Amino acid sequence: MSELLETLIRDARIWRGHEQIRHSQPEQPTGYQALDRELGDTGWPRGALTECLLDHYGIGELQLFLPLMQELSRRDKAIFWLNPPQLPYAPALAREGIALDRVILARTQDTGDFLWTLENCLRSPVTGLVMAWPGRLASRDIRRLQLAAEAGTNVGVLFRERRYSEHNSPAALRLELEADAHQQLKVSVLKRRGGWPGQHCSLAMAHRSGRHIPDTPSIVQGPWAAPAR
Amino acid sequence: MLWLYLHFPHLLLDHIRRAQPDTGPLAITDAGGQKVIQACPHARDLGIRPGMRLKTALGLAPELAIIRASDHQQERILEDQAFWLYRHAAHIVPVPPDGLLAEVGSLQRMYGSLDALWKVLEQALQERQLTAWPGTAHTPLAACLIARSGQGEFCSDKARSLHLLSQLPLTRAGLDERTCTRLQRLGLETLGQVFALPQAELARRLSRETLMRVQKILGTRADPQTPWQPPHRFRQQLDFAQDVERVQGLLFPLQRILSELEADLHWRQQDTDCLQLSLRHRHEQATRLRIRTSGPEHRAEAFLNLIRLVFERQPLKAPVISVHLSVQRFLDRQIPTGQDLLGQNGDPDEAWHTLVSRLQARLGDNALTQIVPQPDHRPELAWRALPVGHRHKAVPAVPGAHRPLWLLPEPQSLGETPRAWLSGPERIQAGWWDGQRVHRDYYIAQLHHGQLAWVFRDPGGDWFVHGWFG
Repeated sequence: MSELLETLIRDARIWRGHEQIRHSQPEQPTGYQALDRELGDTGWPRGALTECLLDHYGIGELQLFLPLMQELSRRDKAIFWLNPPQLPYAPALAREGIALDRVILARTQDTGDFLWTLENCLRSPVTGLVMAWPGRLASRDIRRLQLAAEAGTNVGVLFRERRYSEHNSPAALRLELEADAHQQLKVSVLKRRGGWPGQHCSLAMAHRSGRHIPDTPSIVQGPWAAPAR
Repeated sequence: MLWLYLHFPHLLLDHIRRAQPDTGPLAITDAGGQKVIQACPHARDLGIRPGMRLKTALGLAPELAIIRASDHQQERILEDQAFWLYRHAAHIVPVPPDGLLAEVGSLQRMYGSLDALWKVLEQALQERQLTAWPGTAHTPLAACLIARSGQGEFCSDKARSLHLLSQLPLTRAGLDERTCTRLQRLGLETLGQVFALPQAELARRLSRETLMRVQKILGTRADPQTPWQPPHRFRQQLDFAQDVERVQGLLFPLQRILSELEADLHWRQQDTDCLQLSLRHRHEQATRLRIRTSGPEHRAEAFLNLIRLVFERQPLKAPVISVHLSVQRFLDRQIPTGQDLLGQNGDPDEAWHTLVSRLQARLGDNALTQIVPQPDHRPELAWRALPVGHRHKAVPAVPGAHRPLWLLPEPQSLGETPRAWLSGPERIQAGWWDGQRVHRDYYIAQLHHGQLAWVFRDPGGDWFVHGWFG
């Protein structure tokens, strides 16, 4: 770096955005090294909203947050599931070492209740992670949620469909999730604070089915090659 | 012994006016609804006087709000007053309909002096916006008579109270009408003149009861008083002169009774987690609301916030004429632990209870659930939903097999041929003992979009998806 630039930086006459962001909130590693690298070593943004855009369940979207959930369980923080599309399965969560007495499922009737509940969870100091499955959300609603998230130190995650990736969103981090080969999860960064978007990485998620050798299926072909229908 | 008598000259009026301070002229009528017995200052300005016929009063002020006095209601309000007085004095006796008797002689040392005690009581009365006339004397009956005369003062001087008593006209002495007339015919005007009569003659010429009464006033005959015991519950009621149509109009007076509750809980050194609120309507059945907190609570502000949330969810169905708040469940307070030296962390348990109570108040009790594993081999029975807040002991799940993180509420039929089969079969055959029989072979399969599904085949050969490895 030229001497001139160094002088400017030393005199603090230049404001460097990424440093500011990095130190505003303590880091929250994702538990996946490849993903941490893509996110600029900050991990999940705390006190901010994360959007995950995906079209299908069962591609490893919960597995992505499992290391975070496990850590929060150790710290006795609550994990809220707001309007999950299916049932979070208690035996599987317990097996993964998640303290179920701090896992709360909430169901809301309308959008007003949904936003209100999510805001309250995001602001509360006892929450660690809030995962929400909203239906349609206006951009100003997401803005409202982002502001609520900034009032707390929680990780707030919205799971939405991929068609919303075209839309503008005030969320601090936007990820697009797709299934990749070998049961991996392909994560593309659409937007992140203090850095450029466009990175993507594939995370190994094969262990979610309990198998540790990802390449060789234990059943080469199904016992009933053509299932009914 | 020194007795204090507090006479509330217009208790019902005070009670209603503090619930709705900004109403217009207000009058209390007798049980028959014919005569005005109490009138608020506003009504008095318009010329309405106690004793006036209701028709005349309505002629003077057509917008007059009228409350009919009922003995039951007055007694209840009086008991509410006994409640707070009990915090200051141990031996108290409610004297229906509008008096409270308290033994204060034994309190002098505790408060330092009688004046200090009176200051405390005066402040308590002021906080509750109550008018009370005090009277002190060495017998309960004398204190009562002095207080009711309205000239009483707070002093422990026996001679002074005797002087006040003897000045009292016979009509104010609480004697029955016949005796009163007979004494007046004898040319006696004040109570002092009756005291001067020889007692044996008094009993012979009038009645034994009259003598007993005089002796009780003077203290030559015992007049035992049974002390009142506060019930183990909290109860307060708000009565409105004008129907309240909006929630805002309820919240303001509720704030006052909630601070009363806070003071009561503080005094008991207890907490509660359930308030019962009953709103009465003129023509409809009362609305009963249960305000629950997920943990012990005593702060009026927290209760008010919850009540506000409940009202947001459930608007008033009809105008409200009275509100009744009661608390029956009391929990012992626990010393907060885990606070750091500067108290900056707050109590995480408290924050947790606050959050859960808030969510439950707005969403309803059933909106929040927790999940626990159950020891069962059938996937749909291997977990259970519980309401939040119930302590449950951890049940170990059936160990072994790997399970998906998502379970479908109902198995869905598999609409495509899986791309790859990853593991299986795992046969689950159970439930022959309780009628919910399950006979399935489970596989883990990868579908076309890369999802890992937990699929099973039933004995009929049909394929279903039962979960996703999310």
